[in-house]
Amino acid sequence: MAANRMNFLQGKTVRKVVAGGHSRSSSTPQLSSTSTTIYGGGVKDPSGRITEYSSEDDQCPVCKSDKYLEKKLRLLVSSCYHKMCESCIDRLFTLGPAPCPICNKVLRKLAFTPQTFEDLGVEKEIAIRRRIAKEFNKHLEDFPSLREFNDYLEEVEDITFNLINDIDVVGTEARIAKNREANAAIIRENARKEAQYALTLQQTEENERKERELRAEELRREEEEERHARESGKREIIDRLERADGKNASKVIRETRKARAEREAGKKGGPTQGALMRARVAATATVAAKDVPHVPFQDDYYAYQDRYLLQPVYVDPVSEAVRQDREGIMRAGGYKVEEAWERALRFAVAGLDLAPLGDTIDKGGDVIMSTA
Amino acid sequence: MDAVEKANAERQKRWVKDQKIGEGTYAVVYRGREASSGRQVAIKKIKVGLFKDGLDMSAIREVKYLRELKHQNIIELLDVFSSKTNLNLVLEFLESDLERVIKDRSLVFLPADIKSWMAMTFRGLEFCHRNWILHRDLKPNNLLIASDGQLKIADFGLARDFADPGYKMTCQVITRCVCAAVGYSRDSDINHGWYRPPELLFGSRYYSTAVDIWSVGCIFAELMLRTPYLAGESDMDQLNTIFRALGSPTEQDWPGHTKLPDYVPIGHFTRAPLRDLFTAASVDALNLLTQCLIYEPKKRITAKDALSHAYFFAPPYPSHPSKLPKTSPPVNTTQPLDEIDGNTLSGKNNRKRKLSSSTDETKTRSAVARRLDFTKTTPGS
Repeated sequence: MAANRMNFLQGKTVRKVVAGGHSRSSSTPQLSSTSTTIYGGGVKDPSGRITEYSSEDDQCPVCKSDKYLEKKLRLLVSSCYHKMCESCIDRLFTLGPAPCPICNKVLRKLAFTPQTFEDLGVEKEIAIRRRIAKEFNKHLEDFPSLREFNDYLEEVEDITFNLINDIDVVGTEARIAKNREANAAIIRENARKEAQYALTLQQTEENERKERELRAEELRREEEEERHARESGKREIIDRLERADGKNASKVIRETRKARAEREAGKKGGPTQGALMRARVAATATVAAKDVPHVPFQDDYYAYQDRYLLQPVYVDPVSEAVRQDREGIMRAGGYKVEEAWERALRFAVAGLDLAPLGDTIDKGGDVIMSTA
Repeated sequence: MDAVEKANAERQKRWVKDQKIGEGTYAVVYRGREASSGRQVAIKKIKVGLFKDGLDMSAIREVKYLRELKHQNIIELLDVFSSKTNLNLVLEFLESDLERVIKDRSLVFLPADIKSWMAMTFRGLEFCHRNWILHRDLKPNNLLIASDGQLKIADFGLARDFADPGYKMTCQVITRCVCAAVGYSRDSDINHGWYRPPELLFGSRYYSTAVDIWSVGCIFAELMLRTPYLAGESDMDQLNTIFRALGSPTEQDWPGHTKLPDYVPIGHFTRAPLRDLFTAASVDALNLLTQCLIYEPKKRITAKDALSHAYFFAPPYPSHPSKLPKTSPPVNTTQPLDEIDGNTLSGKNNRKRKLSSSTDETKTRSAVARRLDFTKTTPGS
């Protein structure tokens, strides 16, 4: 114990050793191991990732209470990246927004978040990057050239750096606001796409898991069946041996074995699904063609819909019967009078852009509706 | 020799017939080539004089509509000429069809492959519909596959144009055609009914593009399951099968359906979630499938809207056509007609189909379908 006290006097952190049976065999005091600071204590999720960081050395910079005296001490981070304990936050901010005791920035109670990283600088950077990624979410497809996309990335990085290092915060914020205004539609669209992509990934994962379970189940069933077949085969031999006289014994065994071998060979016919899948993947890997995103229409047919305006109703004695069909007998089949009208209008305007007797006439002299 | 005959002879000279590759009731199909370029073609010789009323209706329709439609995903009619008393259609030569691909157990489909086929089908169909043509006979063996993997809609033998303004006549024609179609499905090709929408089964005389969309929905399901989705044995059983799978329609689901000419009340089924059957399909895929199989034809998705459906934009990207799984070239070159262009009413064809639906094969197929992995994505996509 003397050594222990000496260390304490020298100002080193000494871990309190539980008195009695639990104390380690050696009497050397245990310095608070660096490993707890590197790997951190704190709340972990099932996969072992730390979701909330905390350490034995935690001390509230405001009230100076620490983990040693206050086992339940929990430090939260303010929006100005200063830590303080929950009781201080309660004390200072319950009555409404108040200045940060460290930097005087006005804070609200709800804006405190749990700490994820030991280094608050990292915490800050991540938060900023997350925010910037939401504001600047344009993709390469949104730019006419790679060069412009790279310039854009450069600008984003510039803004991020400014925010992280508190350089010209006002000017930078203005730049962000300007971008938000200019690209509101694209930002919203891309955000929607990203959310959808995340959802798809999640669903794919879920489906894959289900599929694996199904396959495992099937495999187990097959094994069970096989075992069953083997056992009944053995029983069959014994039964037949019982019935047969001694001379035939070896013949019976041979026959039964042969039958079983045949059965098994029959079952193994054909390559497995896995092998087929591997073959398929290998086959596609050799083809140079790249999969391209889906393009709904490969021509501009629908770009010309402004050539006519379909009225809600026309004087059309022929379609009277269908239109007066109150009970929906005729409509239940899906026939639409409007289609007849649209067709007539389409035909009326169809040739407007065609030069007379152009190359749309083929060798046989027929006019061809082409995709072009 | 008058001018017409001269022109005909001129055309005839452009094409060379090689060997016969199939025969149906209405036509003989030859493999041929273009004399000048050596390009492979299929020449379909229609037997004229076999019927009292002259030329077979389906041949006329085929010529009429294929002359108008030129699209990447629609079979190309290269030429028409007559020889002696026969009519000859020169068509693009296509080596395989989707039915053979689906049936080939040695092929594995990735979700991206299915997406690619669906996109090509909808593209071709959208082109038909925008030109006011209903195909009315979409099924996997009418979707032909070119050597570069492109899917092409073929067999316009039952097609007709729709939304004709002078439709007082139209509805009669439709009636006759529907009856013809019904007879067709009853007598000669039992499987035709598998892809028929409920409004046709109920004898509707006024219908629209939605009939083709239903068929595409069934094909979509078949691609995922690797076994026909709604396989009924007769018209009656077809309705039963549909309702068992999708639940009986209520007046709310489908206003007016009880008033349709051939309406018969059929047992009450509740709808089971599609997810139970399509375990590995993505949410988008199921959504598109559901929208193709809506009872009320007006609410069914259109080909145009389907092409903009989220399913086609979600990852993975549709496979490049050249990467799609292919059947190995047939060993037996005298395959029945439908492999060349699917337009056949031959007995051979439906016997073949019938065999495939016999119980034991259906069993093995569904067993494999369950094991299919739809969730894997193509590497590098």
